[in-house]
Formats: sequence, C-alpha cells, structure tokens
Amino acid sequence: MSETKRILLIDDDTDFRASVRALLEREGYQVLEEPAGDSGLLTARAARPHLILLDIMMRERTEGFFVLQEIRRTPGLADVPVIVSSSLYSEHPFFRVREDAGWMPADLFLPKPLRPQQLLEEVARLLARAPQETAP
Amino acid sequence: MKMRKVRKDALDLFVAVLPRFGEVLAPVRRGAGWAFAPPRRWSEVDLAYPRTLLPPKKILLPPHERMLRFRKGEGYEDLLAEAGKPVVLFGVHPYDILGISILDRVFGSGRFPDPYYAARRRNTTVVGVDFTPDALHFCPSMNADWVESGFDLFLSDIGDHYLVMVGTSRGDDIVELSGCLLEDITAADVAEYKHRSAQRRASYATEVEIGDLPGILEMEYGSKVWEELGDRCLSCGACTAVCPTCYCFDVYDEDDLAAPTGTRGRTWDSCLFASHARVAGGENFRARRSARVKFRFYHKQRGFVAEYGRPSCVGCGRCSAVCPAGIDIVQVIRAIRDEDGHARAGS
Repeated sequence: MSETKRILLIDDDTDFRASVRALLEREGYQVLEEPAGDSGLLTARAARPHLILLDIMMRERTEGFFVLQEIRRTPGLADVPVIVSSSLYSEHPFFRVREDAGWMPADLFLPKPLRPQQLLEEVARLLARAPQETAP
Repeated sequence: MKMRKVRKDALDLFVAVLPRFGEVLAPVRRGAGWAFAPPRRWSEVDLAYPRTLLPPKKILLPPHERMLRFRKGEGYEDLLAEAGKPVVLFGVHPYDILGISILDRVFGSGRFPDPYYAARRRNTTVVGVDFTPDALHFCPSMNADWVESGFDLFLSDIGDHYLVMVGTSRGDDIVELSGCLLEDITAADVAEYKHRSAQRRASYATEVEIGDLPGILEMEYGSKVWEELGDRCLSCGACTAVCPTCYCFDVYDEDDLAAPTGTRGRTWDSCLFASHARVAGGENFRARRSARVKFRFYHKQRGFVAEYGRPSCVGCGRCSAVCPAGIDIVQVIRAIRDEDGHARAGS
C-alpha cells in the first residue's frame, strides 16, 4: 500500500493556502500549511514532506529564496522537490532574471496565479520521481 | 575594470541570484558580534558591520579539516571533494580581501601549493563591500584600506546605489546573470565615489608608522617591551584565531581502533601556544611567553616583509578587540618605536 504523500505549503496568503489545500486534498494528498519561512522550515524538518510548494514574497520580498537555500542544505530535505510559486515577476517587472537560468535551486517555478490543472500535473510528475522514503 | 551600479533597494534581489555561484555567506549578527554565515532572510544581512569575529579564512582554511583517509596496505585517498563546495562570500571588507590574497600567496604559490586550500579558494566567490572604520581599524597603515584585486565583485556605497566593480570573469558572469538589476554609471556617480573615498580615508582615527619597522625590530630584539608583553599575554591564542592571515596548523591522525584505517586532518594551531615550538625530545625553542609574543610580531612585521614584501597584518583590529589581556598591536608598535614609551606598551 502506498503512503499518502505529504505536501507542505509555505505561503503567507491565507486564501491561497486554503484554495490549494482544497485542490490537493481532493486528489488524496495530505496537506500541511505554514504562513512564513521560519515556521515552514520547522515543519519541513519535523514532518519531512514529499513535496514543498513555496512562496517567495512573504514578510520579506525575498524570504522564499532564503528558505529555499536552507532547504537545500538541510540533510533529509535537500532532495525534496520544491515548486516555487510567486508573483515576483509580475509585481517587479524590472526583475528580468530568467527563472530557468540556473540560479534558483527549485525544481520548478510556477507564476501566480496558479492554473489548478497545471499544478496537479506538476505535483504528480515531481512526486513520481521524488525519493520515496522521507519519513521523519 | 568594468563598472556598474545597483540600487540599494534592489540588493536583496541581486543577492537572490547568487546561489547560482554557491552557498551565500554574509555578515549577520551572532551574539554581540558578527559572523559570515548563511542568512535566514535578507534583513539579517548587516552590511554596516565593523568586523566579523572570525575572518574569511575560516572558509578557506577551516578550523578543523579532514584531508585524507588511509587504510593499511592500500594507501590513502584524499578528501579533496569535501573542499569542493562552492561558496559566495558576500560583503567582505577590503582588508579581509587582502587577507585572502596573503593566504593565496602562502598556500597557493611556490613549489608546493596546498591542494585543499586551492580547492576551496577556487570554489569561493568574493563580493566585497566598503565600510566605515572604527577606532580599532588602522588599515591605511598596512596599505589595506583598498584593494584592486582578490574580489570577483566589489560594492562601494555611493548613496542610493552601490557602485559595482567587476574584478574577474566570474564577477562578469554574475553581472551577466543579474544584468537587469544593474545600471551604467554616470559622471555624478564617479564624483560621488571619489568624494566618499576621500571621506573614508580621512575617517580613520588610528594610524601607526611601519615604513622602517623591520629595521627597528632588528635593532630592538632585546627590548624590554617583549618581556613586559610576555608578563601580560595569557597564551590563549585568541589573536591568532581571529587574525585573517595567521595560518599555522597542526596535522594529526585519527586511527580507527577497530580496523586498520584512519583519517588525517589538520586543525588551527597558534604560535602563542606553549607547544608550538616544542619538538621531539622535549626541547622547546620558545618556552617563554615573551619569546612567543615576540615571535608573532617578528613573523608578521619583519619576516613576512622579507619574504613577501609586505607585513602579514591588514589592520583589521581583531587581535586588539579580542585580547583578554588588552594587548593592542598599535600600542605595541608605538612602544617599540619609542613613540609612547615602553612602560605604556599595550596599556
């Protein structure tokens, strides 16, 4: 029997978390939520999610980038797939560094607003290739 | 040298792209001081810091380092891969960049370059930043208040922007990646840079003359200053630990008692430790504290000048800041020059 996949949402937007949670739970995923980077890291270390959906602009404009670096240097989390989802580019149009230029150590960048079907497809794709054992 | 500028309020986005070149370590508050460490958020980065407790050498020459693993009958395998992790040192002051350049000369040149240091240095990106000196900085006296090499990028405060000097092709790669955040500089920016540079030079409160110091040290080998310092020094080695250019290390083997294997490592040593000059048979060439204190000064201000053409001191003030006995290198130099009088050395 396959283990229910745990997905951690780190995003300061309550409505966004609620809608994504509903979407993912309908697909049978277990969803954990955190509204900030530091609490998100604590939960990630304790719960060892199978995938993390991470916002960038939270209390600080680049908070998610620092969270992402911490995830990548944390044993047990370093290989967990991370989808970064942000409106950074639309809110700061002068920032034109391509998200696929190799500087963002995420598995995928999805601009907000998210398209539900695309999110579900990418989550399934990344979970299929993720390490299977992430129990805390 | 290519130059651009970046808005201060866009520096967080500029730093966000740096992980492309390695793990970012920046000056952040740690207790009562500052340390180069991975920031947890941008607001933790404090570019107005006076000095970090430990210099960047802690990255290039770690306090403890495993070098090789050996197995009886099979030889050894080096652990160079452990030194291969890319790092971006963000916000390094000019004197610390010069400190790195001095370590580069010691470990990276000559007939036997150190492969472990070389691997770390090769994987280290240096982004410098200028700073406002405090009473302990005496960098101009050591010709260390400005650097023209040793960095990939260097940021100079010009008001709403930082002027960005590109020092290497890797620095140019960063500029290429983050180009949208950078702007061309103007004549007004150059004027502002020159104005602030002059202001900074004039703001150093501490200076000491070292032009003829090697010769004076030659004459003062028997000075009572060294005995007085020996009476005060605790031989704790704090000054050597925090010095950006002190590089003594001790090599040790750790044997696995359950198997014919082990590892060889090295750890920071200090010429102020009683064991530093002790050799087989129990002889100790510098058994007295005064001899060890004198050795440190002579090595940095005389021997290194003869070998490399400059002192191995960059005027950062760290040794004076941490010495529990209150020994101040500037006062020691003044005392040996008879500018303050021997009795006041380090008081």
